[in-house]
Amino acid sequence: MAAEPTREWSDEQLKSDDLPKKDVIKFLQDNAAHSFLNEHKLLGNIKNVAKTAKKEQLVIAYNQLFESKRFKGTEPVEDVTEQVKAVKIEEKPKEVKAEVVDEGPPKYTKAVLKKGDKTNFPKKGDPVSCWYTGTLEDGTVFDTNIPTVAKKKKQTKPLSFKVGMGKVIRGWDEALLTMSKGETARLEIEPEWAYGKKGLPESKIPPNAKLIFEVELVSVD
Amino acid sequence: MALEQFSDVVQRCEALPNDSYTSDDHNVFTIAGRTCIEEGNSPQVLSIVLDEKNQNIVRSMGWNLLPPLIQVLLKKEDKHLPQCLSIFNHLLETCRPKELLIGLLEQLEHDDPDRIAESLHLLLNPLQKVLLCLGSRKASSLGMTLSSVLDQLAKLPVPVTKEQEEDDVFSLCRCCTDLIQFVRPFVQEARLNQSSGNQLEKSHKTASGQDEGAEDELQTELLKFCMKTLSQPLLDVQIRDPDTLPLSPLRTFASEILDILGAVGESLPSLLFHPLLKRKEVPGFLEEEVRYPKNSLASLAHLVFVHHLAADTFPSVFSPVFCLRSNMEHISILLSRPEDSRLQKGLELYEKSLVRVEDGSLPADLLEIKTFLTVPQDLVKVMTVCPKHDLRTKGLKLFQLSIDKFRTEAKYRFFQYMLRTSNHSGVEGYVIKNIKNQIDAALQPGNSNIWFEGAHLLPLLRKVFSLPDGPETDLLQNLDRVMESLNLLRYLVIRDKVTENQTGIWTELYKIEDAFMKPLRVGLNMSRAHYERELQDTMENKKKKTKDESVLSVSVDGDELPKMTSESQIQALHSALHTFDMIESVLVRIEELIEVKDGPEPAGEPHPLKT
Repeated sequence: MAAEPTREWSDEQLKSDDLPKKDVIKFLQDNAAHSFLNEHKLLGNIKNVAKTAKKEQLVIAYNQLFESKRFKGTEPVEDVTEQVKAVKIEEKPKEVKAEVVDEGPPKYTKAVLKKGDKTNFPKKGDPVSCWYTGTLEDGTVFDTNIPTVAKKKKQTKPLSFKVGMGKVIRGWDEALLTMSKGETARLEIEPEWAYGKKGLPESKIPPNAKLIFEVELVSVD
Repeated sequence: MALEQFSDVVQRCEALPNDSYTSDDHNVFTIAGRTCIEEGNSPQVLSIVLDEKNQNIVRSMGWNLLPPLIQVLLKKEDKHLPQCLSIFNHLLETCRPKELLIGLLEQLEHDDPDRIAESLHLLLNPLQKVLLCLGSRKASSLGMTLSSVLDQLAKLPVPVTKEQEEDDVFSLCRCCTDLIQFVRPFVQEARLNQSSGNQLEKSHKTASGQDEGAEDELQTELLKFCMKTLSQPLLDVQIRDPDTLPLSPLRTFASEILDILGAVGESLPSLLFHPLLKRKEVPGFLEEEVRYPKNSLASLAHLVFVHHLAADTFPSVFSPVFCLRSNMEHISILLSRPEDSRLQKGLELYEKSLVRVEDGSLPADLLEIKTFLTVPQDLVKVMTVCPKHDLRTKGLKLFQLSIDKFRTEAKYRFFQYMLRTSNHSGVEGYVIKNIKNQIDAALQPGNSNIWFEGAHLLPLLRKVFSLPDGPETDLLQNLDRVMESLNLLRYLVIRDKVTENQTGIWTELYKIEDAFMKPLRVGLNMSRAHYERELQDTMENKKKKTKDESVLSVSVDGDELPKMTSESQIQALHSALHTFDMIESVLVRIEELIEVKDGPEPAGEPHPLKT
């Protein structure tokens, strides 16, 4: 168990513009208990948290952390959660899109389940082929093209289309551009980059549904 | 007599070596045999045909007996039906498949719907049996059969209402069900070919190129079949949804066709997004147009997107905008024909595609795609000319819906285009009303945009504030357009303060006065003078009771319509004058408002009205 962390910054330093939000967030994420971070809305990708949290909030949180001493490892459930978090962080590839979307944080997340060749990345307009399974948050499978899982109609071909051209939902277009040949990833797509307010009733997708896809990028032409 | 002849020729030929029968032998056999059956001697024919000794000749010539046999079987009440059936079945097993096929197909052709339906019902099963005997060479024969069957099917009247589908008076539904039964084994074979041959490169000619070709042929014939059915009868049929009609043979038929497409390796997305997803060149003997006829694809789009028949296999990942783009091709095809059923389908497909897209999301560059301009033109045709009220109403609703889905620049360009090309006062008026709504929206705080304010707005307004024929414009014919233009002008003058001039109207006003208001004033005066004179003349004629000598008469269906009575004429003229008054009152009001705004601000300036 690590010794109790020390205050790196004074109040003045914290409030100063020279200290970027990201640094404070990193410190908090590294040192605070999971429940503490949850309460202060500091969980998740640092970039995203930086966009949504104000400096003042971070200063308050920083101070509160030291007052309440709710550091990592001070909560019983901590260990397991820590391990899970650690595992996730390791597998998170650097392939997360470098491009910052000016509309705000990307409305999907990607977790790599199986690494690709890290060489063949599709560009906009390239034809790609995928196997995929789509589920709702509650686990209902609304679509898949995988032969063993799909109904009697044997679909023996992966889905092919030109990526990055708006032919598919935005979450797919954005995510596939970050995948390499052979990669399998789990995508969680917010409704704004999926089927939005309307959903797709005939395919059992309700309004404002977050969609989860497991996608294998089979080929990039 | 005939029986003796028949018996003789059979006996004689049995003694001869195979294939040395003369054409005379053939003729005697055929004529005598047919006569026997027609005259009711089937039991004797049966025993001759079944006789072990006679099998060679039966194999060679037996198929010629099919016509009278089938006639008996169709009659269903003949006392020799069982014997005929036995002969028939024996021939099916004994004779050569190719010859049997010809014989059977000939018996399909009829003109009377009842006979067609009965023949199909009787003969599809035997045809299937025969085709299955052809082994790997069956594809072209299957194609020929399917073609004949569909030609006959096309002659059957199509049910229009739900009740008609349930009653199935002309047996179209039963025939469709029979047809699916018929193709089942061939589809199964194609499905197996698909999965086993999946790894092979179709373009690669290997040593077994022959067999691959045969498999391809089977698939091609089934594809041709599907495409044909999608067009006929499916394009003319209204499919009922499960809640309306739980058991619908036609819906089942349509679903099966979609399934067959999958079995022969066609992917629905590939077919439907066909023009946009450049397909790889498939080597084969069918050209693209024949292989994938546009009407059939349009029909398919309707089945998939409106009736959701392939919901469990169609991928749920395509973006709604992309689906709309692709469907515009199909919508265009459907709206290009005047038949109600086609228009209905076109409108339904358009609606389903638009509704999935978010409001204000379609960008202006879509208008560079031809169909995004031709489909609204088709809609205008429906809205203005279609005799069916429901379709006209729906057309208008979709016209507005399509406008709502465009982003601001796209709306702007669309309005420009419609004003330039629609040539219909009602449509122009409707577009001008939309322009007013957009200007109103742009003037709301925080909604400012460059299209409905300032520099871009003015060219658009110039098109709005114009009279097609200057002062000589027919004001009654162009009433809708003129009134909406005046409404818009009045709105602008009230809403946009002189001091702000957000829309630019105040700097533009002098041009509008010259190009629009003054000619309109002149036109009103001229029209009014003309109609007042007409009214006077008519009233005088009425007093004098002079015979009305008009040069024109109108007749409908041979009956001449009665000439307008004087009373009606007077009423019409009054109505026209009333209309001019109405136009003038708005014009005057606008002139008043302009004067007021140009001069000092009076104390009781009314609150800007939102008209």
